[in-house]
Amino acid sequence: MKLVFQGHRVLIAGGTCDLALCLAESLIEEGLHPILTWRSEEGENRIVERLRPFEGQFDTAWLDLSQRASIESLFTHVGDDLDYLVDFAQGDFESLIGSADPELIRRYFSENVSSRAELLRRAARSMLRKRRGRMVFVSSAAVLRSNPGQGFYAAAKTASEALYRNLGIELAKRGITTVSLRPGYVDAGRGARYIESRKEMLADSPLGRSLRPEEVAEAILFFLSDHAIAFNATEICMDGGFATAK
Amino acid sequence: MDIFGEIRESLTDILDIEAEEVTPETYVIRELNAESIDLLELSVALNSRFKVEINDDHIYLKTLRVCLNGSAVNGNGVEKIAGEFPFLSGERAREILADLDGGPVLKVKDLAAYISWRAGTN
Repeated sequence: MKLVFQGHRVLIAGGTCDLALCLAESLIEEGLHPILTWRSEEGENRIVERLRPFEGQFDTAWLDLSQRASIESLFTHVGDDLDYLVDFAQGDFESLIGSADPELIRRYFSENVSSRAELLRRAARSMLRKRRGRMVFVSSAAVLRSNPGQGFYAAAKTASEALYRNLGIELAKRGITTVSLRPGYVDAGRGARYIESRKEMLADSPLGRSLRPEEVAEAILFFLSDHAIAFNATEICMDGGFATAK
Repeated sequence: MDIFGEIRESLTDILDIEAEEVTPETYVIRELNAESIDLLELSVALNSRFKVEINDDHIYLKTLRVCLNGSAVNGNGVEKIAGEFPFLSGERAREILADLDGGPVLKVKDLAAYISWRAGTN
């Protein structure tokens, strides 16, 4: 199937992770223009380094959800001409609930839920100008089956899914739709470190292996395409059956 | 085009109505049947046209009844309205207080007043 895309410009929040970079390459191959966000110069260098062969076919922009002003600054930088949003942004915070630092709890939800809601608000207003837009939130299978220490992560993902879901029911009539994807263990970034320590557990799972970044990126590409618009205001699990199996 | 003309253009576009249906005295919700999603779209359009930040709670007088909190009856409603919505004139505040029982009071002229106020204070 040849994928068809009604838009061109794709904002990728959390653009420095392996999955985002992998997606950016696929997007460029499809003729789309990714704009990848970074939090630190190190992150920006990582993007530029990896996408060097595609110079001129992508942009980068600063977005740090711990600094609210960065949301407005992002849109000043990239403008309102936006067709897609893919959201990978997610802070790392692994701790048993009972042992977590109260201040860090507060900060984590402020960055990963409240700031995301503001980012969504701003992106929705941008897309409303064109009456067209598609948003994909990259959630996690951890919302279905989380491990000790992943409570904050799972809670932030679940809350964020709810925001995306609602946006999809509020604005679908105005051409803006959303979907959340819940990948399982992906052999990239944080997942790769975790997978290394749990090889046996994955071998016992229905699919018997972790996910490759490319297959997740291709799935996201499909969900961005015109063919997938009816997947609106919902969540799709992509974990090879791991969370469903006992 | 003046502020009212620009607002009328946005309204006719978003609500799919004729320009003749929109005067400064037209009620946005009561008569034009604008729904919350239309109002959201209108904010985006007005922001784009006039390059001013728009606070939806203020421009659409969403916080009117909360801010009055019964004081329309005991007399200081005009002051309350002036405090919450500084873009409305005293005369308009009195008009609003007399009109509360009829439903949502928002008129097209209130939108114009908000835009002129924002443009002047930016």
